[in-house]
Amino acid sequence: MHEVSIAQGLIEIAIDNCKKQGYKNIDSIKVKIGKASGIVSDSLLFAFEALKTGTIAEKANLNIEQIPVSGFCDICNKNFTVDEAYVIACPICGGSSFKVETGRELNIDEIEVSR
Amino acid sequence: MKIKVVTNILEANDRIAAENRKVFDDAGVFVINLMSGPGAGKTSLLESTIKDLKGILKIGVIEGDIAGTDDAQRIDSLGAPVVQINTGGGCHLDANMITEVMNDLPLKDLDLLIIENVGNLVCPAEFNVGEHMKAMLLSIAEGHDKPLKYPLMFQKSSALILNKIDLLPYTNADLEKIKKDSLSLNPKLMIFEVSCRTGEGTGEWTKWLQSLVK
Ligand SMILES: Nc1nc2c(ncn2[C@@H]2O[C@H](COP(=O)(O)OP(=O)(O)OP(=O)(O)O)[C@@H](O)[C@H]2O)c(=O)[nH]1
Ligand SMILES: [Mg+2]
Ligand SMILES: [Zn+2]
Repeated sequence: MHEVSIAQGLIEIAIDNCKKQGYKNIDSIKVKIGKASGIVSDSLLFAFEALKTGTIAEKANLNIEQIPVSGFCDICNKNFTVDEAYVIACPICGGSSFKVETGRELNIDEIEVSR
Repeated sequence: MKIKVVTNILEANDRIAAENRKVFDDAGVFVINLMSGPGAGKTSLLESTIKDLKGILKIGVIEGDIAGTDDAQRIDSLGAPVVQINTGGGCHLDANMITEVMNDLPLKDLDLLIIENVGNLVCPAEFNVGEHMKAMLLSIAEGHDKPLKYPLMFQKSSALILNKIDLLPYTNADLEKIKKDSLSLNPKLMIFEVSCRTGEGTGEWTKWLQSLVK
């Protein structure tokens, strides 16, 4: 539901980085969004399209990479990935001692720029 | 040309939150970000907490709502310092909104500042505003499937206040399931069972608040 704030934030960061490197246009933006972040890709794209107008990112595409929720189990010593947005037990052995390693990402990864 | 950025999109918010936090620390006020879905009882809990701790803790409030000043008026009528933020459609408070209003409160005179976030079980959990602690309410009438459906807030909160337990006889809510699922998402969660209507259980909560502030 807060995709608008996220889109606003990522456009600002992209513009900032583009200008700092002395470029004039942003051609694409790549973001990594974890499945547990609660961000809906379609809503993020929609907000991005609306907010980029009139900025140097006007022609930019937004590429969203979805990162699944994954972790490592201390009991069976295996890596696992789940479909849910949370982990309450290791899906392999059912153990409850594990570290969640991915799924919360909300990162801008890379931008493509031109003069 | 490609530029590797690798930045958290909420970094700007987190930076402002850290500045707010410094202002709170310098003023010596403990700050709680209070979150829940709409109508779970945040303002009711604030009202009962302010009454119960009158003369013991000086409590100030920031009210976050999409529109209106009803909640701030309820706090104001109890004589506690309060400011209202209207997000105008925004589904959560962010750090900058707090920066804009926090100096309207007598921070140095307060022991505890509670920020009532916009009623929403999803978005507020993602945005730090400079608080020392996040706490959330769930009213038992919202259903026992909520922790696993909306895990983020349960994971980020230090305390869960299960409100409206006076309604238990009229619902099929499985309190044990709510507690079990919440604790498996967040083993360190402090859980309080209260009714803001009857006052049942609120003593444990206010006792805990006092232990945090001292
Ligand atoms: N039965 C019962 N009703 C309650 C209790 N606590 C609050 N209520 C009622 O629930 C309704 C919503 O309470 P509020 O305190 O306004 O809830 P809120 O979370 O501040 O609501 P928003 O700010 O709009 O998200 C009101 O009608 C309260 O009187 C309780 O413990 N038991
Ligand atoms: Mg309220
Ligand atoms: Zn395992």
